[in-house]
Amino acid sequence: MDDLLNEALDAATASGASYADARGVDIDAESLTVKGPRVEALDRSSSVGFGVRVVVDGAWGFAASPRLDRDEASRVALTAVEVARASATANTNLVELVPEPAHRATWSTPVDIDPFEVPTEKKVALLASAAEEMEKVPGVRFGRGSMDLLKQRTWFVSSEGSDIDQTIVHSGTGIDAVAVSEGDLQQRSFPGSFRGHFEAGGYEIVEGLELVENSQRTAEEAVALLQAPECPSTSTTLVLDGHQVMLQVHESVGHPTELDRILGMEAAFAGTSFVGIGDLGHLRYGSELVNITSDATVEGGLGTYAYDDEGVAAQRVNLVTDGILTGFQTSRETAAAIGADRSNGTMRAEGWENFALIRMPNINLLPGEGSFEDLLADVDEGIYMATNKSWSIDDKRKNFQFGCEIAWEIKNGRIGRMLKNPRYTGITPVFWGSCDQVAGPEEWKVWGTPNCGKGQPGQTMRVGHGTSPARFRNVSTGFAQ
Amino acid sequence: MSPSEQAVAAGELPLSQDEAEHAAGAILDIAGADGVEVVVAASRSGVTRFANSQIIQNTVRSELRAYVRIAVGQKLASATTNQLDAAHMQKAANQALEAARASREDPDFPGLPEAREFGSAPALMRYDALTAVATPAQRADAVAAILRATEGASAAGVFETSSHAYALLSSTGMRCYDAFTRGVMTCLADNGDATGWGEDSSHALADVDYEEGARRALDKAQEGRGAIDMDPGTYRVVLEPPAVAMLIDYLSYAGFGAKQVLEGESFLEALAGQQVADPAVTIADDVAYPGSVGIGFDFEGVPRRRVAVIDKGVATGPVSDTRTARKLGGATTGHFSGSDEFGPYAGNVVLEAGDRSDEELLGSVDDGLLVTRFHYVNVLDRPETLLTGMTRDGTFRIRKGERAEPVHNFRFTQSVLKALASVEGIGRDLRAFAPEFGSFGSTVAPSLAVGEFRFTSRTSH
Repeated sequence: MDDLLNEALDAATASGASYADARGVDIDAESLTVKGPRVEALDRSSSVGFGVRVVVDGAWGFAASPRLDRDEASRVALTAVEVARASATANTNLVELVPEPAHRATWSTPVDIDPFEVPTEKKVALLASAAEEMEKVPGVRFGRGSMDLLKQRTWFVSSEGSDIDQTIVHSGTGIDAVAVSEGDLQQRSFPGSFRGHFEAGGYEIVEGLELVENSQRTAEEAVALLQAPECPSTSTTLVLDGHQVMLQVHESVGHPTELDRILGMEAAFAGTSFVGIGDLGHLRYGSELVNITSDATVEGGLGTYAYDDEGVAAQRVNLVTDGILTGFQTSRETAAAIGADRSNGTMRAEGWENFALIRMPNINLLPGEGSFEDLLADVDEGIYMATNKSWSIDDKRKNFQFGCEIAWEIKNGRIGRMLKNPRYTGITPVFWGSCDQVAGPEEWKVWGTPNCGKGQPGQTMRVGHGTSPARFRNVSTGFAQ
Repeated sequence: MSPSEQAVAAGELPLSQDEAEHAAGAILDIAGADGVEVVVAASRSGVTRFANSQIIQNTVRSELRAYVRIAVGQKLASATTNQLDAAHMQKAANQALEAARASREDPDFPGLPEAREFGSAPALMRYDALTAVATPAQRADAVAAILRATEGASAAGVFETSSHAYALLSSTGMRCYDAFTRGVMTCLADNGDATGWGEDSSHALADVDYEEGARRALDKAQEGRGAIDMDPGTYRVVLEPPAVAMLIDYLSYAGFGAKQVLEGESFLEALAGQQVADPAVTIADDVAYPGSVGIGFDFEGVPRRRVAVIDKGVATGPVSDTRTARKLGGATTGHFSGSDEFGPYAGNVVLEAGDRSDEELLGSVDDGLLVTRFHYVNVLDRPETLLTGMTRDGTFRIRKGERAEPVHNFRFTQSVLKALASVEGIGRDLRAFAPEFGSFGSTVAPSLAVGEFRFTSRTSH
């Protein structure tokens, strides 16, 4: 692959590119879904190809192909140059990139058990055991188990001398039970919704999640939700579990602090941000207890890597410090646009065929103090919501409505009766401003979101979020009106 | 000849039927398999993205995927590769074969469809050669024209041309091939105080009126200046076609598939045969409808039939594939999505036209709201078809049948079926929309006047 990529670089620079990088990607993935005793999907997939990104006449061009030969490498590079020249005809601003040292490195996700060496029969048996266990619970329509395994090798070379070889391994699994009655459908998932919990690592992640041990409780909760009263529309104290805090961080901190959105580059599709460049160091994003980092170095995250897809070394950056906005997620181009001296390394592309964008690595809410029980102890009356179910937020990432699978009343510091269809709404800085406790390190966990969409053509990215359960005051639940 | 022109000259279609047959031929008779099915999908696309009235990303790419599905008795598995040479095809086939052997007997698997039962699906060939050969320079010229048309505002959007080909071959004799092209423009104009939106798409680039789309975006932004707050509540609304298209896309996603009926997720389970919408409302999946873009067969090679999921307001049938049709006791409608996990899918939804002009729809509303489009819609409750999302890029008060002052954006929380039950008028002009995600399918929608639509909060600003 290295020879092919260098062929592309040579062709691009010889044709007038002032900057060029070439990225080869080889992906193997395995996906299983078991419904009750039956295997519903069992798929192995592989994809290999390369993409060439160039700056010519101060404008970007990109081309990509799955054909792996040196003639194709040159042709694709020349197409990227042609595309860049076309871009330049419509542009007045020139692309500028902040400097980054040339890196020559090899890096891999630490893996104990190669997930692709584990027999398929063993994976099917694990999921089927959990799914069948769930279907034993009266009232369950079906139980389902899923598993997703990924190995991605990426080669990156640039006209500035970088030559990087990275291999990333991700493993994820989960179960869910669905109960249906008289037009009502309720679902419970474990350890998280939308195909479970994902981490960087091997099959040891799957084995550590205790799917079968948690299947009966998961199913019983799905059935119990059918009889539970609706979560009320009110203003109350809200405690969120770590999974929902993950989604809250993702949508209302991760996306709004992407500098491409702030600069208007995603305006037509994903939207912009309520955050402005001038807010840096001033904007009160949340209470003093809110500390949030962008961290591509944390162990186990889906956004953990050594170098991003434009060859910038992984970093940890403070986005929100004691409640004040202190950082953005940047690229070499956007960092230059705001006068920063270095990118903080958040550019990633899905596969070989896409242009890299600013994508969250691991956006982490740093732990505070106390246990989950301590969060409840100071609540006379409130609601505890768990496990994300739905999300919607406006194009500036300000007005949100999120839903969870399950909730419970909190009365006098203790969990009370179960509530169904819990939802809450808010305005981002007001909501984070109402945070009056984040649970401590013992409750903190790095969650994975494998399905973050952005860009045109659309790209799906795997991102991580370290969170603890947290408490918020005066939150509107139900359908605020 | 430029590199992209050379690429086109080397083969205009992203995949020929012969190439697909050659690739599949290496594995259709693999030893140990009782059935083999190969779907080959290929595309070439050029996407020119602009923002802040500059081209910010400009990409050209070729993509290829071969999906291999193998049955061993009643066991089934699949493997995918993006290399069509014999070695990679055989590797994928062996992976699928091994996985199928490791799987479990599936009593619901009806077997791969047989050619003698389903015949050969006719190719729709919504394919326009000029769109397929559009160059980066043509796309940049179009963007330059969009930027001129939106001068005075900051413009953002895409100009995209693409060609797609699909082939399906199986050991049971199925042989299908179809191809389509698509041109898409979107434009958001931002004048610093308000935003406006315009978009257009067609299988033929010549029919994409990108300058008109840009002007529409600019006009909406200019008219949106000085927006005021309004209280959330239930209002009569006129929904423009982009807003309607998004609602019916999510309605399809939430419940048009037979698997969703079987699993209790779809409104069709409880309401089949009942009046669920105004009698003027017919929503069908119809890939052959004028303006719709897609292929004439599903991912098991069955011809895609028109299915009126809501017919004159009555909930009728879901779309199905061979597996779900057998469980429901009927014939497949030809809507296999390629995934037994996801089930059949209606990807070419059409809300049929009414008889009202846009002016008449507005004129029918004494006091209400005009919505240009929605943002970040999501499903809250599938059986109830309850959605939430925000308005975006042009929301206006309607007073005495005329568009009046602009208002700040709202969040809606609304059952689509309940909105369709209160339809008071349907526009006679249909617009076609490319999918928001991916390249498969399209949506055709008119404007709607709706009697009751619930807005539950407003954004701060």
